[in-house]
Amino acid sequence: MDVNDKIHAQLVKAGVRLAASLPDDWVNTLIRRISKDNQIHHVPVCREAETIAICAGAFFGGVRSVAIFGNTGLLTCTGEMATLCLRHAIPVFCIVSGRGSIDDHKVYQEVQGRRTIPLLQAYDYPFRIIDRQEEIEDIPNAYEWHRLQKRPFVLFLTKKLLGTAA
Amino acid sequence: MKTNECMKVLAKHRGDAVVVCALGMAANEWWAVTRSEDSFYMHGGMGFAASFALGLALSIPRTPVWVLNSDGSLCMNTGCLITEAGQQPKNLKHFVVDNQCYQTVETMPIVNQGGADYTAIARGAGIGQAITVDDLADLDRLMPEIVAAQGPYFVRLRVEAEPDYQRAPPANYEGPEMKYRFGRALEKKLGIRVFGPRGF
Repeated sequence: MDVNDKIHAQLVKAGVRLAASLPDDWVNTLIRRISKDNQIHHVPVCREAETIAICAGAFFGGVRSVAIFGNTGLLTCTGEMATLCLRHAIPVFCIVSGRGSIDDHKVYQEVQGRRTIPLLQAYDYPFRIIDRQEEIEDIPNAYEWHRLQKRPFVLFLTKKLLGTAA
Repeated sequence: MKTNECMKVLAKHRGDAVVVCALGMAANEWWAVTRSEDSFYMHGGMGFAASFALGLALSIPRTPVWVLNSDGSLCMNTGCLITEAGQQPKNLKHFVVDNQCYQTVETMPIVNQGGADYTAIARGAGIGQAITVDDLADLDRLMPEIVAAQGPYFVRLRVEAEPDYQRAPPANYEGPEMKYRFGRALEKKLGIRVFGPRGF
């Protein structure tokens, strides 16, 4: 079982049944893993903010969901996370590639690496960075915790964890 | 036709549909006509009521879900139509109240006023059933067919701009209360569990 199989298994264990996503190099394998079977219904979207609203809608249908995208996408949808999710106290669980880290030398990820965490802190969006496989087992706990936080929560996956060459 | 009249016709044909309203005038008129708590009146996330409705529709596939979108919101996120078409949700009906202006902000003109065909855009996105209705009697006549059809179904409601209109006030509850009233209404109506045993 590789790292993406393990994340998928823990999402299923947490009761997640819907995933809305937009591709990013680092999370594409996870997205493909989710699409591979019917345990989690996959909703590909046109832009990241759609994932936030789709997951918010799923919340009211009693379905546990997850939004998956890249760090750049996170920057693009913080406004919707605020005006929809903070406004109405709706929890949304986001899995985001931790781009712009010291081992990510893509020049177009540099700003994301420096400014994402301060931005999340400014909005008071809780987050957790996991870069060891043992921590994947924390996903069900993190899922329960984000529900009582009643706001968006971001789980960052690192390059070290994912073992991606990108 | 006027927005309030449109909402009255929609309400008459609503049946068991759960309704998601984009923020703005249509939401206020829907509240004025129905006072329904199994409707969600979005107070933010402009452009994303349709995405919210899609997530809801996929989660309760046996229940009809309507989104009352607006032209301004649709223009802000036309990609929602492609995402919706990708899922082909059988229980989702997408209404767009199109008055060609931003009604709640001094009726400023909509982008490319008069020049964009939202129905053609919906069809081009992959929603096979997409129509424009600009007459109240036609809407009343067509609604049984729209309600009975499998989704997705896109209906552009071409209404008059009402620059001197005394706008209907929004629902008299908001924010987190909106969450709990809507969630509890769906729990009661559908027998589902939105909130856990400790309320979150």
